[in-house]
Amino acid sequence: MNRWKSKRNVLLPLIAIMIIVLILSACGKNESDNKNEGEATNKNNASSSVEEGPLSKYDPPIEVSFVRSTDDTLETNVLGNLSGETLADNRWTRLYEESLGIKIKYDWVVKGTDQYTQKLNVTLASGELPDVIQVDAIQLKQLADSDMIEDLTELYDKYASQLTKDTLAQEGTAPFDSTTIDGKLMGLPLTDGAIDRSQLLWIRTDWLEKLGLQPPKTMDDVLAISKAFTESDPDGNGKQDTFGLGLSRELWGGAMALEGFMAGYNAFPNMWVEDASGTVVYGGVQPEVKKALQVLQNMLKAQQIEKEFGIKDSGKVAEQFAVGKIGMEYGQQWNSLWPLQASRDNDPNAEWQAFPIVSETGDGAKVPLQSNTRLAYAVRKGAANPEAVIKMYNLHLEKNWGESEENDKYYAPPEAEGVWKLSPVTPGPAFKNLAAFREINAARQSGDTSALKGEAKTIQAKLDEFASGSKEGFALWGWERIYGPASSYSVIDQYDKNGQFLMDGFTTVPTPTMIERKSTLDKLQNETFINIILGDSIDSFDKFVTDWKRLGGDDITKEVNDARIK
Amino acid sequence: MSKDIATGKYPKDSASSIRRRIDGFAIINGVLLTLVSLLCILPLIHIAAVSFSSSSAAAAGLIKLWPVEFTLKSYEYVGGREEFWRAMLVSVQRIAIGTPLNLLLIVLVAYPLSKESGQFAFRSIYAWVFFIPLLFNGGMIPWYITIKQFGLLDSIWALVLPGAVPIFSVVLMLNFFRQTPKELEEAAVMDGAGQWTVLWRVFIPISMPALATLALFSMVDNWNSWFDGLILMNNPMNYPLQSYIQTIVVQGDFGAMTREDLMNLSQISDRTLKASQIFLGTLPIIMAYPFLQKYFVKGIVVGSVKG
Amino acid sequence: MIKRKWRQELPLHAMILPGLAFIIAFSYIPMAGIVIAFQKFIPAKGLFGDQKWIGLDNFKYVMNLPGFTQVLWNTMYISSLKLLLGLIVPIVFAILLNELQGKFLKRSIQTAIYLPHFLSWVILGGILVDMLSPSGGIVNSVLKSLGIEPIFFLGDNRWFPTTLVVSDVWKNFGYGTIVYLAAIMGIDPAQYEAATIDGANRWHKAWHITIPGMRMVVVLLSVLSLGQLLNAGFDQVFNLYSLPVYKSGDILDTFVYRIGLLDAQYGVATAVGLFKSIVSLLLISVSYFCAYRFAKYRIF
Repeated sequence: MNRWKSKRNVLLPLIAIMIIVLILSACGKNESDNKNEGEATNKNNASSSVEEGPLSKYDPPIEVSFVRSTDDTLETNVLGNLSGETLADNRWTRLYEESLGIKIKYDWVVKGTDQYTQKLNVTLASGELPDVIQVDAIQLKQLADSDMIEDLTELYDKYASQLTKDTLAQEGTAPFDSTTIDGKLMGLPLTDGAIDRSQLLWIRTDWLEKLGLQPPKTMDDVLAISKAFTESDPDGNGKQDTFGLGLSRELWGGAMALEGFMAGYNAFPNMWVEDASGTVVYGGVQPEVKKALQVLQNMLKAQQIEKEFGIKDSGKVAEQFAVGKIGMEYGQQWNSLWPLQASRDNDPNAEWQAFPIVSETGDGAKVPLQSNTRLAYAVRKGAANPEAVIKMYNLHLEKNWGESEENDKYYAPPEAEGVWKLSPVTPGPAFKNLAAFREINAARQSGDTSALKGEAKTIQAKLDEFASGSKEGFALWGWERIYGPASSYSVIDQYDKNGQFLMDGFTTVPTPTMIERKSTLDKLQNETFINIILGDSIDSFDKFVTDWKRLGGDDITKEVNDARIK
Repeated sequence: MSKDIATGKYPKDSASSIRRRIDGFAIINGVLLTLVSLLCILPLIHIAAVSFSSSSAAAAGLIKLWPVEFTLKSYEYVGGREEFWRAMLVSVQRIAIGTPLNLLLIVLVAYPLSKESGQFAFRSIYAWVFFIPLLFNGGMIPWYITIKQFGLLDSIWALVLPGAVPIFSVVLMLNFFRQTPKELEEAAVMDGAGQWTVLWRVFIPISMPALATLALFSMVDNWNSWFDGLILMNNPMNYPLQSYIQTIVVQGDFGAMTREDLMNLSQISDRTLKASQIFLGTLPIIMAYPFLQKYFVKGIVVGSVKG
Repeated sequence: MIKRKWRQELPLHAMILPGLAFIIAFSYIPMAGIVIAFQKFIPAKGLFGDQKWIGLDNFKYVMNLPGFTQVLWNTMYISSLKLLLGLIVPIVFAILLNELQGKFLKRSIQTAIYLPHFLSWVILGGILVDMLSPSGGIVNSVLKSLGIEPIFFLGDNRWFPTTLVVSDVWKNFGYGTIVYLAAIMGIDPAQYEAATIDGANRWHKAWHITIPGMRMVVVLLSVLSLGQLLNAGFDQVFNLYSLPVYKSGDILDTFVYRIGLLDAQYGVATAVGLFKSIVSLLLISVSYFCAYRFAKYRIF
C-alpha cells in the first residue's frame, strides 16, 4: 500500500505553482515589452514635432493615446449601422491620421460614464496617464496641483485656429474659468451649451383644447390647468385618475423637474444668485423657495401630484406619461424625445408642446441656467506632442462647422446619427442648436429649405419625413417638437431675444468647503424639500436654512464671494 | 420532546394518529413551500413576460406576469447582438477556469487546516493568515494596481486569479472535513496511505455533497460578479455577461445624454431588449442547479455506505 | 523525533502552499493600501505619490458629519434583523424541505426558491417598486382583499426597514438553504433508521438528529455573519431607498458613497472600511472564543 504515496501527489501543487508563476511572469513581461515599445514610439514622435500651424500634418505620423467611454447608442445605432468601422478604426480616426498625421490609440475603453470616472481614478492613482485625458474640474485641479499635466496657455495661442478660438469664446469666459488654474490654461474646455439646458413647461395641448383652456400666462394659470387636468377628467374615462404635474424623486434636472416651477416664484435653488446688495447668495435657502414648496404641498394634497412620486425615479414616472396619466411637466428641450414620445406611441392623439415658463405676475420669468460640472481635456506632462489635441479640436470644429464642413459625413449622417461621438475629442459651438433652429425657421418662413446645410439640413430632413406622415415619420414627432414652428427651440429663441436668462453666479473651480460639504448640504436640502411637498410642516424649511448655514453653508458663501472678487 | 429515560426510546403514539398527523403535516408543508416558491419565481416571470411583449406596452409599464402584445422581436434582436454572446462566452470561460481552480484550492487549503494542532503544528497560524483577508482589504485602488502589476489587466486571468481562494468556502469545507469520522482516516493510515492519498481516497469521496455545494457557490459567484469586470477590463469586448448587463440596465444620467441617446431610450431597443438579455443571461446558471442536485443525492449514498 | 514530525507534516505544507501564494499576492499585498485611510488621498498623485498624512482626520470627518449617529443606528438595526432572520429562515426551510416527500416537487421547490438570488438589486429595484406600490401593487392588492389598509412599503419610514429586511431574506434564503441542506445530507442515514426503529416520529428526528447534525454549520454561519454587522447591504439600499426614507434607510455605505460622489474621497472610504473591519474583527473574535468556550467548537 506504500505505492499510494507516489511522487505524482507531491508534484501536483508544485505544478500548480509553476503554472501560476509562469502566467504571472509571462504577463508581466508582456507589459514591460509594451512599455518599451511605447517609449520607442515616443522618441520617434519627439523628433517629428517641429510642425507649425493649426492644421499642419505630422510627418512621420505620431501616436496620441486617449481613454474613453462608449455607450449603447454608439455601439448599436452608430457602429451597428456602419460596416467596416470600429471604435478603434473609423472615419474620425482615419481623418485625424490622414489630415493631421495623428494616430489615435485608446489605452482603455469603458462602457458608461460611472465606469469612466472609476476607471479614470484608478488609472490616475496607478500613475500611468494617457497623453490626453478627459477630466472634470476637480480632477483637473488635482492634476494641476500635482504637476502632472502640461500648461497649455502658449500652445493654445499658437495652435488654436480662429474657428476654435471663436467657438470656445461663444459663452464668454465661463468655459475657461474652471480650466484656468493660477492664471495658466491647464485644460481645453469641452463646451456644452448652457442654454440647451433651459427649463420649459411641457403641456398636453390636446387636453387643454378638450377642457377649453388657454396656455398659461401666470403661475395662477399653471395651477388652474393642473387642477383642471386632475379633476375634469381630461382622458374622458370617467375616473379621477390623472395628475396635473409630473415630478420624479430626483427633483431636479432634465425632465419632471422643479427648477422651472420654482423659477415661477423667483426661487432659484441649486445655484448662486446676486442679491440686492451685490453679494452672491445660495438660491436654495431664500424665502421664495418656501413659498413654492407650500404651493407644491397643496398640489400634492389636492392629488394633482402623485403621492408616490417621492420614490419613483424618472424612468418609473415616464411610464405614467406613456399611459397618459400626466398632463404637464417642467423639463428641457429634448423632453419630446423622451419621455413624451412614448405617450404619443400609445395614443396617437396625444399632443405636447413646450411653453415658456411663467412668473406669478405674468412678466417674463427669469430662466435659471446653472453652471454645469465642466469637462476638459488635459495633456499629460511630458507628452511628446502636447499641441496635438489642440489641432484635433481645430479639425473637429472645421469638419463640422467650418468652411470645409462635411457635417453629414462627420456629424450626423442619417444612417448613423451620433457619428461625431466616434471622435476622441468632441467640442461644439455652444449655440449650435439654437443656430440650427434659426436657420431652419428662416428657411421655413421663406418657403425654401433647400439651401440649408450641415446639421440644419439633417434636421430639416427629419421634419420633412415627419410631415410626410409616413410610418418612419411618426417616430420623428419628437424632433418636430424640438425644431418645428411651435417647438422647444422657438421658446428658447424667445428667451434669448427677451434676455430672460439668469446665469449662475458661480462658475469657477469648487471651493474647499464645497468639496467637503456639498453632498451633505444637498442631501439636507433635497430631503427637506421632498418631505415638505409630501406633507411635513412648512416650518421645517426655516430649520433647514439654519442648519444649512451652520453646517458649512455660511463658509461656502464666503468662499464663493471671495472667489468672485479675485 | 425527549427520550424516555427509562427505556431509551421515544414515547409511541398510536399508529393511526401518527399517520393522520403525518399526512396533515405533509399537505400543509407541501402547500406552504409551493406558495413560497411561487413568490420567488414572480420577478423572473415578470422579466420573461416583458421580454415577450411589445415595446410600447413595456414602456407604459402595463405588463404584470403575462406578455402583452406577444412578440419575439427582442429575441430576434438579441440573437444577432454580438456583444451579448461574446460576453456570455467570457462568462462561460470564467466558470470553466475559475470553478475547477476554486475547488482545487479550497480542498488543498481546507484539508491541512482541518487537522488538529497536534497533527499539523502550524495550522492555527495558517488559519488566521487565511482568515484575516476576509475582514481587511485596502479598497479598490491598491487592488487594481496589484492586478495591474501582475500584468493581468484585460485578460480572463484578472477575473479568475484574484479570487482563486474563496475563503468563506475554505472555512466551510474545513468544517465539513472535520466531521469525517476519525476511524476512516486512521484505517487508511494503517494501510500506509500518506496525506495525499487520505485526502483523495477518503475525504473527497465522502464530501461530495459539500463539494457540490461549494462548486455551486463558486459557479454562481463567478457568474454573478460584475464589478471586477468593469474595472479590470480595458475593452468592453472583454466584459463578462453580468458586467455587460450592468451597463445596459443602469439608467444613465440624463444630464450626460445626447439626444441620440434619448431617442434610443424610447425606441424598441429599450425595455423589452433589456428584459430578454437579463432573462437569457440568467438561464444558464439556473440550469446548473438541477444538474448539481444529482450530487447532493450521491452524497447520501456514500454516507450510508460508510456507516 | 522533530525531524520525523516535520516529514509527516511536509505534505500538508505543500498542499497549503499554492493557496497561500494566491492569498499573499492578491490579499496581503493590496492590504498595504489601508494606509490610504490616514491620508488625504488624491488619486492624481498616485498611490506611492506625495500624499498628505492627516492621521485620524478621515475618521473624525465622518463621525462629525451631521446625521452620522442616525446612520450608524440604521445600519445596525437593519443588519441585525437581517442577520437574525437570514439565519433562521433558511434553517427552517432546509428542515421543511428535507421533510418533503416526492423528489420532483422537492427539487422544483429548491430550484424555485433560489431564483431571486440571480437578479441583481438594480433589476429587482424596478420590479419591487411596482410590486409594492400602494396603488395597484400586487402585495397591497392581496392585503386589500384581506381588509388591510394599503401600506407604502418603500415610502413610509415606519415600514421601510422592515421592507428591506424581508426583501433581503426573500432574495437570499433559498441560497442559504443550500448550505444547510448540504449539512443535512452529511448526516448519517443510519441514525434516522435507528431512530425509526426506536419509534421516533418526524418531530423527534428533526429535533434530535437533524438539528444537532446541522449544529456545526449553524454555529459557523452565525459567527461569520456577526462580522457583517456594519454591512447592511449597499446594493439593496442604494436601489430601493429614496429621499423620503433617508431617515430610516440611509446606512453607512450609502452615506459614504454620497460623500464620495462629488470628489473621489478614497481616504474617507478606506477609513470607513477600516473602521468596519476592526468592528468585524472584534465581533468575530469574541464570538469565536465564545463558541470555543461554550460549545467546545473551533470554527476555523
